[in-house]
Order: sequence, then structure tokens, then C-alpha cells
Amino acid sequence: MRRPLAALALTTALLVSAACGSGSPAPGPAAPGQPDKVTVGVIPILDVAPIYLGKQRGFFSNRKIDLTLTLAQGGAAIIPAVQSGQFQFGFSNLVSLLIGSSQGLPLKVVCNGNNSTGVDGKDFAALMVKGDSPIKTPADLAGKKVAANTLKNIVDTSVRASVRKAGGDPKAVNFVEMPFPNQPAALQSGQVDAVFVVEPFQQAVLAQGGRAIASSYVDTAPNLTVAAYFTSTQMTTANPDLVKRFTEAMKESLAYADAHPDEAREIIKSYTTIAADVIAKVVLPKWPADVNRQSVQTLVDLATQDGVLTKPVDLNTMLP
Amino acid sequence: MRNDRALLGLVGLAGFAVVLEVAPRVGLVPARYAPPTSRIVLALRDEVQQAQFWHAVRDTLSTWALGLAIAVVAGIALGVLIGSVPALRIATASTIEFLRPIPSVALIPLVVVLYGTVRSTLVLVIYASFWQVLVQVLHGVADVDPVARDTATAYRLGRLARIRYLVWPTTLPYAVTGIRLAASVALILAITGELIIGTPGLGQEIAVAQASDSVPSMYALVVVTGLIGLAANLLARAAERRALAWHPANRGEVPA
Repeated sequence: MRRPLAALALTTALLVSAACGSGSPAPGPAAPGQPDKVTVGVIPILDVAPIYLGKQRGFFSNRKIDLTLTLAQGGAAIIPAVQSGQFQFGFSNLVSLLIGSSQGLPLKVVCNGNNSTGVDGKDFAALMVKGDSPIKTPADLAGKKVAANTLKNIVDTSVRASVRKAGGDPKAVNFVEMPFPNQPAALQSGQVDAVFVVEPFQQAVLAQGGRAIASSYVDTAPNLTVAAYFTSTQMTTANPDLVKRFTEAMKESLAYADAHPDEAREIIKSYTTIAADVIAKVVLPKWPADVNRQSVQTLVDLATQDGVLTKPVDLNTMLP
Repeated sequence: MRNDRALLGLVGLAGFAVVLEVAPRVGLVPARYAPPTSRIVLALRDEVQQAQFWHAVRDTLSTWALGLAIAVVAGIALGVLIGSVPALRIATASTIEFLRPIPSVALIPLVVVLYGTVRSTLVLVIYASFWQVLVQVLHGVADVDPVARDTATAYRLGRLARIRYLVWPTTLPYAVTGIRLAASVALILAITGELIIGTPGLGQEIAVAQASDSVPSMYALVVVTGLIGLAANLLARAAERRALAWHPANRGEVPA
């Protein structure tokens, strides 16, 4: 009996030692004179054009930041990676950050990400239906199926805001989880009655004859801050100087991208494979340097009302 | 005979390409989401001209090869060890049967937390392909002819000599089968990990093409993964024939 037990213990020990790894901790300041190595988790979408542009323009290397941009699959994957110190900074939509923060994750927004254009009917995201759909306004979505890339997040919160604004019942909308790339085909084949897509899929739906019935990010709040760059509080404590330099570089990048949309379009070709004719047509988001606090408060109120946020969030600690 | 087989295989492939060309053209499937072969070939031509594509191929191949190598070495070493010690085999049997069927993809959230996005795919590749090798080696070790074993005992072969002349020749065909299975599984997991976790490589390129709504390049990359899989399988079969040239199964007139 003793030998099999010992064998079991040995095997378990082997497996455990094989399976154990550890995340790297947040780095302290780099050696004097050396640039800080910074990895930022981003998503391959239009929204992050400023950081690519800023890197190309040298706004980060100017400030002794050796920037590496790593593509990840959505903010949900980036938040844990920033917490574990694998990424020093990350890009995520505001509702994911609010949910994380309300659950006690030590998140700190360092800089704005991107905002809606604020122009109804001409935003980088839209609530869309088929060309021949009987649905005319978001109020008609009661009892209908609407595709959202992630449930209980910024998309359903915004679509409900559109429904509410149009005088409909936001609770009567059925959301179906579906990645953005699948939505145009699902709309065309009738699997869903409406989709909420961002660029370049807005162009894809338009190209197949679909039409927009609302600019939900515009309906949610004026000049809504949709996403932001963030870090962990371990990082803000361990290396406040780096956080400060990153924030400055990021603000310069945002201002530059906002002022030079043609260069922003050009840089998008470097990290996506969106067709050139589509890049020329897509509606770019706005890139203000500062988080629109008022709009974040509105998001908190809406998300709480819809049950997306179940715990209170302290915006003063989360926002810069 | 061999040439005929290869020719027939190519004809089959060409037929498949023709079906994929015609189906969208006649409206059987929407061309927007299932582009014809010619469109995919054009996209492939664009891809192979980009440095980024070759970086991705290199990343995927190195994850595959490294993961497979680690899994093979660990699988054979542990398999021979566990298989040769009856107590160890009994003690680990149920644990192995519990761990082996866990789909590696289900472990993604765990490995991402432990290893981060860059190394996670390698860990998944090792995990999935390790079991293929280990289980085959265990079967191989268990298959040693009892008469041969008794003979070895009668001749007082030492532990090492016994592994070298008794266990290893019996186990090798099993191990090679395990390695061939592991080679395919390792490729599947390498692409899956890149696609889902975002580890650099072809899988990530597929994800970016998908997020960019560039459907033809997405298919072009998928075709590349298929070609790599085909190459890996041919390579594994060639290695199998070479390593087991002495084995009765490979000595017939008609190649297997």
C-alpha cells in the first residue's frame, strides 16, 4: 500500500511542477538611461489607431518607452493579462472596466481610448437591420432578436438606451451573443432581426443593403467615451513615473490621430487586413485626450438600471 | 503503383478545388462568405508576399515543433518508466484516464492565467500531444512478449539492457503511432491557441483577418494551415517508415 501511495505522490508532484508557472510581476523602474519596456494589450480594430500612430511618430520612444503592441481577443482577455503584469497597459471598453472595478479588481484608467463621433447616423458603430426589414425604429425591437458581440456589456447597454430613447421597452429585446464578424451573415440569413456592429462590419452590412436604425453609442450619452487605456494599481504604485510618461505619450497620440484622420486610416492598414476601399469609407471614432466623465457616469447609471452592473463603482478611484 | 496513388490524390484535390470554385459562382453558397477558389488563391498570393505572413508561419511551426518535441520526450520517458514499474502503472492509471480526455481547449482560461498569452499555446500543445505519446508507449510496454520477458530474466539482463533489447523494440511501433497522432494534435492545438488566446502565429493572423472582414485572406490562411497539416502528416509517415523499416508491417511488397 505504501509504494503505490508514494508513486501517486511522486506523479502528482511531477504533474504539479510541470503545470506551475507564474505571471511576471509589475516591473519597477528600468535601469537609469535605459528605456522602459512596455507591452500594451490592444484589439485589432480602428479604435486603437492612435497608439500605433503614436508609436510610429516616436511619441513613446521620446519618453523613453520601448513600446510593444500585442493583439488580444477582446478586452475580456486583456484585463486579466494587465492584472497579472503580463501587459503593463491595456485597452478595454468602459463597461468591462466598470464591471472589473465593481468586482474589486485594482484597475486604474490612465487615459481616454476613443469616443463616439456624437453625430447621429454617422458613428463608427450602428444598430442595423436588413434593407427590407419592417423594423423602422429601435422601439420596434420588442420581442426581436438582436446580436451583441458580448452579453451584459457595452453593446446591450447602448442598444437598450436606443430602445428607451425611441419610447420602446428595453426589457423586451432578446439579445443573442455573436462575434462581430458573424453578424452581417446572420442578419442576411435572418438568424437575427438586428445587429449592433462596429466598423468595418458597418460597411459590410451597408454593402449587403442593410440600413442603420440608430447610432446607439450616440443615444447612450453625448460624446460617449467607449473605451479607455488602463493599468493595474500595482503598476501605478510601483512605477508612477512610467505611468505618467505613458499617459502623456498616449494623450499626444490621441490628439495627433484626431487631427490627422488620413494618417490614422493609413496606419490601420498596418495592423488589420481591412480592404483599402473599405478603410477609405469607414467612419472613424473620435479620439479626445480626456475621458468624458459625465458619459461614464451615464454608463454606470444605465448599466446599473439594466442589471449589467450589480455592485457600486467608485469612479473617483477608477478614473484618472 | 505509388505514382498512381499520388496522381489520384491530386485529382481528388483538384476536384475539391473545382467544387469550391463553382459552388459560389452558381450561387449555391454566398460568394461574400465563401469566396471561390480563384479568389482565395489571389489572397494567398498577397499573403505570401508579406513578411508578417512568414513570421506567423515561423511562429506556428516553432510552437508546433517545440511542443511536440517536449511532449514526445516526456511521453516516452514517463511511459517507459511508468510502464516498467507495475506499482506506478496501477497508481497512475486512473489519474491518466482522468486527465487525458480533458479537452485542452477547456484548459485555456487556466493556462492563460498561469502562463500568459505568449507561452500558453505551447503549454496546450505539450499537454494535448503528451497524452497521445504516453498512452501509446504504455500500451507498447505492456505488450512485451511474456516468453521474451522470461528469457530476459533467465539471461539475467540488467534493467537498462532489458529496456534496450526487450521493451524498446516492442514499444517503438506504438511510440511512432503516438508521435504521428501527436503531430496532428499539436498542430490543431497550436492554431487553436493562437486563434483563441491571441498567441502570435497563423491562428492570430486568421483572427485578425476575421476581425478585418477580409474573408478571402482568412480562407487563404486556413488553406495554409491545411497544407502545413498535410506536410506534417507526410513527414511523420516518412519517419515512421524509416524508423520501422525492420518491422513486419513495413516489409510487405505493397507499401502501407
